[in-house]
Amino acid sequence: MTAKRLSAPTLLLLPAVLVLAAVVVVPLCLSFYSSFTPFRLTRPETFFTFIGLRNYRNILSDANFWWAFGRTVLLLTIALNLEMLLGLGLALLVEKASRGQRLLRTIMMFPMMFSPILVGFQFKFMFNDNIGLVNNALQSLGITRDAIPWLIEGHLAFIAISVAEIWSSTSIFAILILAGLLAMPKEPVEAARVDGCTPWQTFRYVTWPFIMPFAYIAMTIRSLDVARAYDIVKIMTDGGPAGRTELLWTLVARTAYSDARMGVANAMAYFSILLSIVFTVYFFKKLAAARTQIGAEW
Amino acid sequence: MDANASARLRRRAGVVAHRVGLFLAMLLICLPGIWIVLSSLRPTVEILAKPPVWIPQQVSLDAYVAMFSGVGKGGIPVLDYFRNSLIISVTSTVIAIAIGMAGGYAFARYRFRGKSAMFLGLMLTRTVPGIALSLPLFFVYARLDIIDTHFGLILAYVALNVPFTIWLIDGFFRQVPKDLAEAAQIDGCTRWQAFWQVEFPLAGPGIASAGIFAFLTSWNEFALASQLTRSINSKTLPVGLLDYTAEFTIDWRGMCALAVVMIIPALLLTFIVQKHLVGGLTSGAVKG
Repeated sequence: MTAKRLSAPTLLLLPAVLVLAAVVVVPLCLSFYSSFTPFRLTRPETFFTFIGLRNYRNILSDANFWWAFGRTVLLLTIALNLEMLLGLGLALLVEKASRGQRLLRTIMMFPMMFSPILVGFQFKFMFNDNIGLVNNALQSLGITRDAIPWLIEGHLAFIAISVAEIWSSTSIFAILILAGLLAMPKEPVEAARVDGCTPWQTFRYVTWPFIMPFAYIAMTIRSLDVARAYDIVKIMTDGGPAGRTELLWTLVARTAYSDARMGVANAMAYFSILLSIVFTVYFFKKLAAARTQIGAEW
Repeated sequence: MDANASARLRRRAGVVAHRVGLFLAMLLICLPGIWIVLSSLRPTVEILAKPPVWIPQQVSLDAYVAMFSGVGKGGIPVLDYFRNSLIISVTSTVIAIAIGMAGGYAFARYRFRGKSAMFLGLMLTRTVPGIALSLPLFFVYARLDIIDTHFGLILAYVALNVPFTIWLIDGFFRQVPKDLAEAAQIDGCTRWQAFWQVEFPLAGPGIASAGIFAFLTSWNEFALASQLTRSINSKTLPVGLLDYTAEFTIDWRGMCALAVVMIIPALLLTFIVQKHLVGGLTSGAVKG
């Protein structure tokens, strides 16, 4: 009888909670349990053997895992920072343009529409050592005579992947920061100029604090989706050459589906989930702080 | 006079530098897409030519014809993949919007305990990487025997889209003044009527763009689809694209054509909603 008197917000949120519980929370509990078993897809009975923390101990003492983990963090650090800087630069460039703003903004959104798998494919095509646009251009311009093995050599492959990643996500930052620039009141900037601030000072102390929340919104949205790099790496190098571009996510997929070691893979997956959650919560907190700061100042 | 001239010169140099920078940035953004379109239209011989052929000598739609005439080159049934993608994306979007509207309305209009914790919790379910989620889903779906069905993928995509849809729709409902619905209620509407006749039409364009965003997420998703689909019963276009690379010799032209087919719906839809999308994501950033 008490169930009949559910309050309106509870009722409205119920479908969302139910779906997410069924598709995300419950399966994750299951995978959390199976990370304590030697579960293999080929042998279902292993699902019920409990081995405690052995999977986690094995992972933590596995050098390959730590390489993949470190590489993932490195890629995210490089990519997010550069995306932020380039996005800011792009937004400032477009904001300054006096004509064709609409067209420029439309072009700016272009990479956002590409699915990660497409981004991976097009850069695989462009960085191909034999027929790729990059090598063709370098050779035609006479910068290099030999073909550069972009996707075949470990470090170069990492650079190629970073380029693809940055190309695909800079526009999110650019669009949101541009929205911030356009929403900004003009008076404070003019006041700063009248008071004798240099352009840099105006930007640093007037413009930047205002657009910061927009940058954090972009960061939050982006961090919700950091694992999209999996798609890009999967199609560009598939973790190769010899595991030199293996990220946490490709390692999980390989362990689970190629080696069929589900238990270990689930334990690894928890590290990747944790990584995503840390990123998101961090930026979410920053966003909330920036919002209250702006609310107080403007 | 001299200072005047040099200031003018510096100003002009600044304008030129700005133009050049803008042009280079736009070129970098557009180039990969242009190259793909170009490559899909030229014969394979030209793509593989050494030294490279920069300006296409012959342009033809052969790749597209081959792709859509039944089973394409290399046995890739693009039409089936296209149909699967369309069915799965549209259905999951419609359901996600219905659920997201209810949730977004609750966040925008009601105060309740643990509201911000609830919001963060919903967002966190979205952060779970697709590949990490695919492990238990694969296992559960195998037990329920819904691997390689439309239903399985639709269910997964609804869950994937609900959190973000709620975020966006919450923002759009916040932009609709509360007073309007209250005025309607004073005039004798029930809350239900006030919602459909006042608030829903006003938030409509925003909801539509949230829908398109959800559609694009489903349309572009790969990590889950690659594990939860097996055959032409439910394989989507992104998984189909990988089929091309898995072959021994890569058919670059065919892949480029498939890429163009994938990007066109996304391109059209994004143009339609771009204005609302940005507005929805940033609403509340200014007012708090």
